[in-house]
Amino acid sequence: MNEPPEPISPYEAIPIRLRVNGELRSGAVEPRRTLADFLREELSLTGTHLGCEHGVCGACTVLVDGEPARSCLLLAVQVNGAEVRTIEGLAVAGELSPLQSAMRDQHGFQCGFCTPGFLMQIQALLEERRALSEAEVREELSGNLCRCTGYESIVRGVMAALGSGADG
Amino acid sequence: MAERSPVGGGGAARFVGASVQRGEDLRLLRGQGRYVDDVRLPGMLHAAFVRSPLAHARVVGVVTEAARRARGVVAVFDGEEIARLARPRASIPGGTDDGGPPVYTLLATDKVRLVGDPVALVVAESRYLAEDACELVEVRYEALPAVVSAEQALDPKSPPIFEDLGGNVIYGPTTKAYGDLAGTFARADLVVQAKISQHRQQNVPMEGRGIVASFDPETGELLVHAATQGVNTTRAALAAQLGLAAEKVRVLAGDIGGSFGLKFGISREEVACAAASRALGRPVRWIEDRGENLTVSGQAREESFEVEAAVTREGEILGMRVQMVVDAGAYPGLAPMVVDSVREMIPGPYRLQALEFSATVAVTNKASYVAYRGPWAAETFVRERMVDLVATELGLDPLEVRLRNVARRGEPPLRMVTGPPLAGITARESLERMAELIDLPEFRRRQAAARREGRYLGVGFATYLEPAPGPRSPDSPPDPGELEHQRMRLEADGTLSVFTAQMPHGQGHETTLAQIAADQFGVDWEQVRVVVGDSSLSPAGFGTGGSRFATMAGGATLHAARELRSKVLEVAAQLLDTGPERLAIVGGLVVGEGAPAGGLQLAELAAAAERGLLPVGTDSRLEAEVTFDGGESGWSGGTHCALVEVDCDTGRVRVERYLVVEDCGEMINPAIVEGQVRGGVAQGLGAVLLERSAYDPDGQYLSGSFMDYLLPTATDVPHIEIEHLETVRLDPDVNFRGVGEGGMIVAPPTLCNAIADALAPLGARITEQHLPPSRLLELIGTIGG
Ligand code: FES
Ligand code: FES
Repeated sequence: MNEPPEPISPYEAIPIRLRVNGELRSGAVEPRRTLADFLREELSLTGTHLGCEHGVCGACTVLVDGEPARSCLLLAVQVNGAEVRTIEGLAVAGELSPLQSAMRDQHGFQCGFCTPGFLMQIQALLEERRALSEAEVREELSGNLCRCTGYESIVRGVMAALGSGADG
Repeated sequence: MAERSPVGGGGAARFVGASVQRGEDLRLLRGQGRYVDDVRLPGMLHAAFVRSPLAHARVVGVVTEAARRARGVVAVFDGEEIARLARPRASIPGGTDDGGPPVYTLLATDKVRLVGDPVALVVAESRYLAEDACELVEVRYEALPAVVSAEQALDPKSPPIFEDLGGNVIYGPTTKAYGDLAGTFARADLVVQAKISQHRQQNVPMEGRGIVASFDPETGELLVHAATQGVNTTRAALAAQLGLAAEKVRVLAGDIGGSFGLKFGISREEVACAAASRALGRPVRWIEDRGENLTVSGQAREESFEVEAAVTREGEILGMRVQMVVDAGAYPGLAPMVVDSVREMIPGPYRLQALEFSATVAVTNKASYVAYRGPWAAETFVRERMVDLVATELGLDPLEVRLRNVARRGEPPLRMVTGPPLAGITARESLERMAELIDLPEFRRRQAAARREGRYLGVGFATYLEPAPGPRSPDSPPDPGELEHQRMRLEADGTLSVFTAQMPHGQGHETTLAQIAADQFGVDWEQVRVVVGDSSLSPAGFGTGGSRFATMAGGATLHAARELRSKVLEVAAQLLDTGPERLAIVGGLVVGEGAPAGGLQLAELAAAAERGLLPVGTDSRLEAEVTFDGGESGWSGGTHCALVEVDCDTGRVRVERYLVVEDCGEMINPAIVEGQVRGGVAQGLGAVLLERSAYDPDGQYLSGSFMDYLLPTATDVPHIEIEHLETVRLDPDVNFRGVGEGGMIVAPPTLCNAIADALAPLGARITEQHLPPSRLLELIGTIGG
């Protein structure tokens, strides 16, 4: 029988390496640090927002290995080795992506606080290249809360982006 | 986009009236907005609050030693310590929290008065560590019976929440009467009575409250990054509460993640953080979490009414007697001011001849009363529900009753019985247009057929007026605090800077003011820079609220741009040795007789003015300052209509169609107007079908997460059809009117009326606003209530 390992101090920093918006980033984080806090505090990627920190509002959604994930519920140590994409990675060479342009055309958002979560959720949807009805789009967006818009403008933005055939 | 006729001196409108893309979106869509949670300052510390688990209790002892010794903790402040640094004062104009009674402290000292009441403040090197240390603060409480309803509060035997108030009534009872009430009741064929109530609900912006306060011990200056609806208001409130000269406080605000009335002035927690920064000489940041936001940031609307309406058999509503009781929660706030607005607005667009209105505001052990989008909305809810109850009683169609009572523009009465002029109202047009849009007779046929199959369809209307800001009233000149001040400057690089006290938090003001300025001045809208969110640059003014922006800031911008344009043309004429009347500014160039071929660049002109190339005596400062009183102004308003089906097995409401016919005068940017309307309607539908700030009998808060306080999602909000009326121009120049609150004001009665109509054959009488499936099943009698 081996001796039980020393308990890890909750404050002990654990090294992680991951790719964020295409760039290799590394850091040392306490085990309890959320991915959202790691992105916002350590990498200064404040485009990802925290609207509830309990997994309901979707504002903190980022893509982890291409899948939408709530960065308030993930620990930074869980994404060691992963590929993470955030709203800051959407624009192409400084220009708004087709999704961002469609949202601007349609006046998709108002205060912009829910925006990062919606954009990343929708980005993943566009990359699936499925044809979707408006009702299906509403269903797909129903895990993200927006308090300003009543959603219609966001749905229009998605329909426009889908219609343009762009995958983001 | 919509073609518009010329709007005045600046030539043909090119941008006003068009849904131009928002300037703000260039940063917001890229994740480059800067919200208060994004501010990082060197040496910044993080705050967390120890909060009361009880609704009402005496604080017997606060032990902070263990927390002070905890990892990363820099300081712990209990209520007494904060009380030595700052004290609460009115944080909003019109608020009652000005020195007491009741007297209270920023953090609880003697007593806690609601669940979540802050008791101690921990400041640490990170938020994680601050929250850890909160667990180590020991607070001993002696529980007191909680007062959790206005009814309880009004019982003289209820335990006083503030001893110095002498009971749990903070305002009233007051009674005001207008017109010949006795006469209208004597002439009435019958009196319809009802108890109507709105439930407690709340703003829930996606971004909560927050502050980064940074006191510089060297200079004695306090720099504050805030999420606020007005930097000047926040600055004044902070200075007063900290005992600092206003000149020593600078408030900055960046992007704001929504507010809906919540972020006016400054909260107790935020002042405490500023006090902590001052004591520590280091920046202190506090970002509210969602649990705090739902539990203690503030709640709204819990109001109940006893109404009697004197009516004729033909459906004419002659007079009303109304008693209002507000459950205003624990700490003093805006409720008394809201009572005044409810009383004044309750006649709405109808020819009511007499009104008696009494009101009482009660204190309870619940979250404090705050402004929430259309704070006085109860007037529309009560009136519009009452109209339908009258119609039911008389066997008339609710639309017919509305048309019978609604005032005709330009015919007596020219005022509501409570005083406000009815100038320019288009309520009748909006009702008539709505009837056409839904084809009411056809709907009634469909409804009858559905009922035969056991399906319950309903139609509901509601009409409202939104004082945005309301027509000029000859006997009440605008309050000096309500004037809109603005500065505008042509910069050396040819951009036009617009300085406003407005503080946008989602409304796109940077775009809409740029549209107006651009048209009037003669430049492209992207050449206009709208400067907001810095108290050191802001003109005087309380900020954004009350749907005042479009008229007040829009009007100030229009006049400032005209004034600056004439000034610039004067200067150009001097430089070019010609007459200003021969020149114009078009597309950012000065053109006309005497101007160089191809025009004179504004940047060149500004540079020449700066270099002093002008004849002595010319005023070369390319700046204008104006104060605007709102002009003739006017009402926004309209009619909303919902067609619904209620499933009597599940209690679910399906909104088949939701229609809006609204009038906000001349639209600056139709896409922004429609966004405001839809967002407001979504909140109103949420209030009826989902949202409720619920407490148990001990005052424990039951809606402290998004699993319990349900916001509408993309599948809950239907497509909203909007039609605009733009009928009446009361002012020669400024006919933009506010549109921020109307949707939220009128959607709840619209939907409740539709549900009541659907359930009419089942005998359900609806006098409340919150109608989730469980409640509908009770009302129908499917389940026991
Ligand atoms: S912040 Fe992560 S879901 Fe709300
Ligand atoms: S735009 Fe404000 S929350 Fe969505």
